[in-house]
Parts: sequence; C-alpha cells; structure tokens
Amino acid sequence: MGNLIYCELLKLKRSKMLLISFLGALVTPVMIIIDGVRTHFAHPEVVLKLSTLFDNCQFYTMILFGLIVYTVISAYLFNREYTEKTLKSILPVPVSKTSFIASKFCILWIWIIVLTVITWASAFALSIIFNAVFGLVEFSFGLALKWLAKMLIGSFLLFLTISPFVFIAMRTKGVVVPVIASAVIVMGNAFLSNEPLGALFPWTSTSLLISGKIANTGYPYWLVIGLIILVSALGFITSFVYFGKEDIK
Amino acid sequence: MTIGFLLLFVFRLIIKVRLHEKQFAKVIERKEAMEYIIETNNLTKQYGKQLSVDSLSIHVPKGKIYGLLGRNGAGKTTAMRMLLNLVRPTNGAILLFGKDYLENQKITYSKIGSIIESAGFYENLTGYENLQILSLLRGRHSKDMVNHALEIVGLEKETSKTFANYSLGMKQRLGIAAAIMHKPELLVLDEPINGLDPIGIHEIREFLLKLCKDEGVTIFISSHVLDEIEQLADIIGVMHEGRLIEEVDMTKLLERNRQYVEFEVSNLSFATRLLEEQFKISDYITHNDKTIRIFDCLEKRGDINRCFIEKSLVVTKVNISSEKLEDYFSSLIGGGGIG
Repeated sequence: MGNLIYCELLKLKRSKMLLISFLGALVTPVMIIIDGVRTHFAHPEVVLKLSTLFDNCQFYTMILFGLIVYTVISAYLFNREYTEKTLKSILPVPVSKTSFIASKFCILWIWIIVLTVITWASAFALSIIFNAVFGLVEFSFGLALKWLAKMLIGSFLLFLTISPFVFIAMRTKGVVVPVIASAVIVMGNAFLSNEPLGALFPWTSTSLLISGKIANTGYPYWLVIGLIILVSALGFITSFVYFGKEDIK
Repeated sequence: MTIGFLLLFVFRLIIKVRLHEKQFAKVIERKEAMEYIIETNNLTKQYGKQLSVDSLSIHVPKGKIYGLLGRNGAGKTTAMRMLLNLVRPTNGAILLFGKDYLENQKITYSKIGSIIESAGFYENLTGYENLQILSLLRGRHSKDMVNHALEIVGLEKETSKTFANYSLGMKQRLGIAAAIMHKPELLVLDEPINGLDPIGIHEIREFLLKLCKDEGVTIFISSHVLDEIEQLADIIGVMHEGRLIEEVDMTKLLERNRQYVEFEVSNLSFATRLLEEQFKISDYITHNDKTIRIFDCLEKRGDINRCFIEKSLVVTKVNISSEKLEDYFSSLIGGGGIG
C-alpha cells in the first residue's frame, strides 16, 4: 500500500491539477477577507472576530467551494486512469484492484488535508494583515490553531461525503457528470444551510456539526451522523464493488 | 510346485510394475515436451448479446512465439485482456504456467510483460518516471533496470520529454520497454508494432526473436498484419468472429502452402530421374501415377517442360499453384484480406 500511495504522489508530478486546486483552496479565504473589508466600511460599528472569519471560511468551504473543488480532484484522480489508458499497464503488474482504489482514496484524503491546511494558512495570513490594518477581536495564534483542528475534522467529513461522487466519476468516466451532481448538491446546501432540514442532508449537516448548530435543528445527533455514515458507506462500497467487477477496456 | 508358482507370480508382478513405470515416464516426458505456458479451454466472453470470444482453446508452448492472427474485431484483444485478468471471462478456463490464472496471481503475473493495443502511460511524466512507477509497483525498482529498458528501445536520450510529447512510435517503444523491463518469462503483445516506422519494426522484430531464441522467453503476439506474424511466429492461431479457426505450426503451414509447379506426365519415374539428373532438383513430391509437384527452381519450368518433351514424355498438364499464405488465410476467414 505504501508503494501504491508513493506512486500516486509521483503521478502528480507536473500536474496542472495541483496548481488549480491550490488556487481553489485560496478562494474562500480571499472571499471572506473581502467580505470583512466590505463589512468594515459598510458597518463600522460591527466588531469582527477572528473566529467569525474562520467560521465563515469553514462554512463556505464545506458548503460551496470545497465540495466542487474536491469533486473535480476526485474525478481527476480516478478518471485519469481511464482517459490515459493506464489501467491496462498497472493492473497486470499485478496490482490488486481493491488496493488500487484504496490508495486513490488515501491520496484524495491527503490532498484534501493539504488543501485544508492551505486554506487555513492563507486565511490566517490574510487575517494577520486584516488585524494590522483594521483590527480584529480575540486575535491569537492559539485560537487559529483550534480552528485548524476544526477545519481538519470538517475536511474529513467532507472527504467521507465526497465518496458517492467518486463512484459517479468512475461510472461515467468523465468530470462533467460528477461536477453537475456536486453543483446540484451545492444548490441543496445553499437552500438547506439555514433550515432545520439541513441536519438530514449529509452535505449540509457536516458543516452544521462542525459549527455546533445541530442542536438548534432539533434532530438527534445519532440520526445526523448515521446519515453521513450511510452516504459515505454507500459511496465507498459502490466504488470498490464497481471497480472490482468492471472489465478494463 | 507352490514355490515355483509364487516365484512366477512375483516375476510377472515385477515385469508389470517396470512396464507401468516406463509408460508413466513416457507420459511425463511427453508432458514436459508439450509444456504450455498459456492454455485456454473454451474461453468465452460475451458482452450482452455480442459474443466477442467464443470457446477459444489455444496452446502456447514454452519458448515459442505464438502469433494470433485475425481481422480487426476478431476478438484477439479481448482474449489477451482475459489472459491478463483485465476482463473477466464469461466461461472457460485459463492456465498460465500450468496453473489457474487466478491462483498465486502475484507470482504468475510478475513473470509476464504485456502491451495491450496502444501504450497507456501518464502523460505528465517522462518515460523514465512512467517505468519507475511500474517497477516500484512490482517491488523491485532499480535505476539501472529502467535505464537499460529505455536503452533497448532507444529512448535513453529522451530524459526530459513527457509522455504527452512523445510521437506515436516513441509511445509504442516505451510500451515495449515497460513490457520487457522486468525480464519476464512470457510476453503478451497485442499489436506491438502499431505506429512504428519500418526500421523500428525491424529492430523490434529482431529483438523479439533474440529474446525468444537466447533467453527462452515465450511470446504471445497478436497482429492483423500477416507478413509480420509470418516473419516471427513458430505457431499461428487464426481467429475469426471470436473463434479460433486454425492453430498450426508455421513450418507445416509453409510447407502446405509452398508454391509449386505441377506436371502431369506419361512416365513418372523417368520424369523424376530427368529432374534429378538434368536439373539437380530433389525438392519434389509425386502424386498418384502421373503427377509431380516441383517446389524448387520454379523459374525453370519452361526448360523442364522442353526437356520432358524432347525426351518423348507426354506432358498432359502444366500447372503453377497460385495459393500463397495470404490467400490461404483469406480463404480461411472468408474475406478479402486479413486486416
């Protein structure tokens, strides 16, 4: 498995997708800082906190950009083996199909962690500038670190709920369908993020879990977590079973 | 008396056992002589209603080059994919190195090198990096091994060029390098010369022949180009519409399909004597009482005919065979050409 993961890392050498995803990870921090500047000038009486900036950053990443960026990454990771016709070279080595898919999921998780750290680091760097120029309440590195932990947990939950898109990407062997599917989910997120029903929608409930808003929805934690586990299990199982049974053409 | 019968019984028993041992040894000997590296039995693949491979039973002996010939869509690639465990058979059995192909896959497949159609590699990586990935996955990576494979196919100088910028021929060469890099005992090559220039084709052909002859590598190669297979293979299998319609030794096939001039003469023994004495021809066969087929010196058929007539032989028929190997395969698969 170690070799497989190392090979997955090697495969990313010179990959433009790396740069694109890094830029994608910067979108949310830049957006929340611009929003902070706008708020500062529009409503000077509003006191901005560091935790508010990170909370917004976390929310938009999990609800909007993260979902789409990670779907594109997973579609790229899994589909490139079909588009570049490499499976017929790799599998007869021999490489077990289960290990192969498992290594892909591992690299997807690593990639998501790296992007989360980039998002956090850039958000923190921008908040330092914001603090220096406009001032921020409760600004401390310790608080920022606490948010890093929260964001990493959030990214893991997002990784779990991305798995159905992996199956869609493998089944359709393209990027378009999974991206459309994730866009539909994003629309659902936008609609449900301020509704109690959001707790029953796994892609929204992950964000509500991290921001501690599940209790406000009135739904029990076991149901919310159970639905997240169900969706991710469905994604993982269908991906493994489909790839295991698929004929490589 | 009883002791005598007992001795006779023991003596007969010993003889029987020794005879049985001899027969058993003969069976083993025969089995060793016919050791197959690839053996399929009724291998079938069906996609929906379409039967891509139909009851394929092939036998690839150790250390030989087996050429699988057939038109595009005959089922060659699907058969090879099944051998490489890329496609699951609908029915039938596959034996690789004498064992079921799903048994000890790690050991079995580490002894196989393959190319299936066009080479598939990561476009953002160089040739070296692509081979590095394969050797890492095999668990025995060494720089020398990768460099040596690149040297063999003449790609050692393309160190910074990524696969996306390779020409079609270079891509195919890299595929060959990947297939031979780990010194496999069996090569499964599906249309390996696609995209190569004539010099490249010649080089690869010579290399494959050398691999087979010097290192005893068994090669299972498919092509729709008859000429290519003819120059390489020891055994030819012809596939058509998913079925194996012929599996034949190349030497026998060439013999069967050699061009000849046929004379029908009044005195066969006199005619053969004339051939041997006047023309020094010994490569001929006789048919019934009147016909003689000459495989050598076909261009001298006019002189031979004149000689027969001058020596008062009655020549009732002169016929030159028109069937070449290509015609033979065309007649087999019922089409105008192989490809």
